[in-house]
Amino acid sequence: MAFSANLMVDAGIAKITLAGELDASVAPVFQREVEKAAAQKVNRLVLLMSELEYIASAGLRTLIFARQKMEPGVDIYVVGAQPQVMDTMQMTGFDRSIIALDTYDADTIENI
Amino acid sequence: MKSCDFPATLDSLGAIAEFVMGIAGSAGLEKRASHHLRLAVDEIATNIIVHGYDEAGLQGTLELRADIDDRTLTITIEDDGAAFDPTQAPVPDIDLPPEQRPIGGLGVYLAMRSVDEFLYKRVGDRNRTIFKVHLSSASLEESGRA
Repeated sequence: MAFSANLMVDAGIAKITLAGELDASVAPVFQREVEKAAAQKVNRLVLLMSELEYIASAGLRTLIFARQKMEPGVDIYVVGAQPQVMDTMQMTGFDRSIIALDTYDADTIENI
Repeated sequence: MKSCDFPATLDSLGAIAEFVMGIAGSAGLEKRASHHLRLAVDEIATNIIVHGYDEAGLQGTLELRADIDDRTLTITIEDDGAAFDPTQAPVPDIDLPPEQRPIGGLGVYLAMRSVDEFLYKRVGDRNRTIFKVHLSSASLEESGRA
């Protein structure tokens, strides 16, 4: 499935909906959305991943980039990651620097 | 034995993944092992394309080959890009918070941990990277070869 990344910013929360397969050939698409989100000085970055079928290290590097671009207090949420995507994040220790949620929980995410 | 050549460009990654998942299916690999094999081959193919060709100013082809026997599924990538031995790459410190990590090294790290055996050989002026996955009795039954 073709990769897509769509950013929506509302009330200080940036949501990027990811779908398809995130390998090195499409990682720049994701990075551009993260750059746009970082430029808007948001308080939260929420990555909606339920439709994301694959993530390679190039996608993880974009998460490193997001961490570096955003203020230290900005939490990064990963919502609905499929097992194989979560597995890759766990193998590389990324699960410890994000907040993983099974479903979008407005009370947790939007309580700024 | 199955083989296929792919141009050494990032646009080939999708087709390489399809090739690998097709082979994993014929070998009866379960979902997690198939995903790990795809991840390993994708990461190394990416490395070869970016560092072995693009950054070296070279153009070329990645030759993939798959062999399945009673016990093992083997995928081999051969390329004539710049020499690179992934087994000698520095290991990233995954205990460091992401923002403090150096960029790079993650792909090789993932690849080497995602298959049962990972081998590299320099053969003449070519790189040969070999991925081996041990087939369980379940996968042998699945593929009808038990």
